Amino acid sequence: MEQDLKMGPHDVGGEFSDPIDTLDSGMTHWEKFSNGIRGAVSARKVITLDELRLSAESFGDEYFKMPYFERNGLALVHRCLERELFTEEELQLARTKAEKEFEVPLIDLPNPKSITHLHDGEEHHHHDNDFQEDEAGEGPPSYYFDMLAVAKLLVDRELITMQNVLQKIEQFDNVFPARGIAVVAKAWTDPKFRKFLIRDAKNAIIDMGLKLESFAEIICMPQSEQTHHMVVCTLCSCYPRSLLGMPPSWYKSRSYRSRVVHEPRKVLAEFGTIIPDDVEVRVHDSNADMRYLILPQRPKGTEDWTEAKLANIISRDHLVGVRVPEDVI
Amino acid sequence: MSYSHQVEPTPRFATTDQIQVVKRQSEGHCRTPSYIRGKIGIVERYCGNFKNPEQLAVAHPTPVIIPLYRCRFLQTEIWPNYLGAETDTLEIEIYEHWVDPV
Repeated sequence: MEQDLKMGPHDVGGEFSDPIDTLDSGMTHWEKFSNGIRGAVSARKVITLDELRLSAESFGDEYFKMPYFERNGLALVHRCLERELFTEEELQLARTKAEKEFEVPLIDLPNPKSITHLHDGEEHHHHDNDFQEDEAGEGPPSYYFDMLAVAKLLVDRELITMQNVLQKIEQFDNVFPARGIAVVAKAWTDPKFRKFLIRDAKNAIIDMGLKLESFAEIICMPQSEQTHHMVVCTLCSCYPRSLLGMPPSWYKSRSYRSRVVHEPRKVLAEFGTIIPDDVEVRVHDSNADMRYLILPQRPKGTEDWTEAKLANIISRDHLVGVRVPEDVI
Repeated sequence: MSYSHQVEPTPRFATTDQIQVVKRQSEGHCRTPSYIRGKIGIVERYCGNFKNPEQLAVAHPTPVIIPLYRCRFLQTEIWPNYLGAETDTLEIEIYEHWVDPV
């Protein structure tokens, strides 16, 4: 490893790091909102993705100390200030207002001892400490108010609309994740489509009737008996979002980004995927303008299954290449 | 941003050409990770012409449009102590100003 060529904290490919937490922790409302504004800002071409990346890379040592959505949210705030889309004072004012609007008046809870009800037919009394967790429920993180402020300021300046933001949140939740799965189910049942997909993925997917919002080109890599493909983005979190939704938390983790390029088989084993030595493991570092969809092999025992039934056994993890669908015999 | 329909500039390299990733430092935002700089591989395919991300990152008003390639490397070429199979490979996208002929 040539340390002197390192670009910054984000350039982690090749580092040694911890085992990967293969569970996806999902997203909170704050994270979805922050992500939705970034999506709206990119889609409306207010700020380019590369500007947002550079802004995050400039955090130095703070880069990996901040959680992913906080880092990317604050990168947007910084870039808006640099581009003079609003001033520091306007931001502070909007932020204070957002905090005020968020405050919820405290209400008196009933005395828990006075609540009596039945559990499995047995009379049940509550104790004082039964409600402590609910009362102490965590509020939004500090950066969420920055994001609310940015949204307000950009909407006021007619650079984005709140509808743009809400639409992004909706698409990431309910539209994008199903698409990649539908594409693979079709490729498993329609040999002509499979050929088209491997030759020219973007047009094959558009031909299916899906409208792809992303600027990026798409490349489909079919798994085979000879080659096992898997995808990583060592520099940030490039991912075919318009086909798979948001990347899972492990995909954005420092461990995954550092390790896949130099010890892919060890990483695969942590996902429970063992690839024999006579099969080539081919890592795709998705770092620029292409996005990758891995086409898994159709499991044995599904020969008479319909497209809809097949869709039930396809998971995002198969389409990133960290897992393979199991045979059903 | 894809400018694939734009034929200029003509790509200097074609599939299977042997190439070396330029080994030098970069300033600002760049999409060529440090681990791949200086490594020798082949061109897997030409991907089309794209705006230079190094200029996009600073909101350059007229970024240059450059050819982009997918390049393939043997893992044993990148990592001298690679522990997987000898046939294992890595593919990555490299903009033309980061590619030298071998």
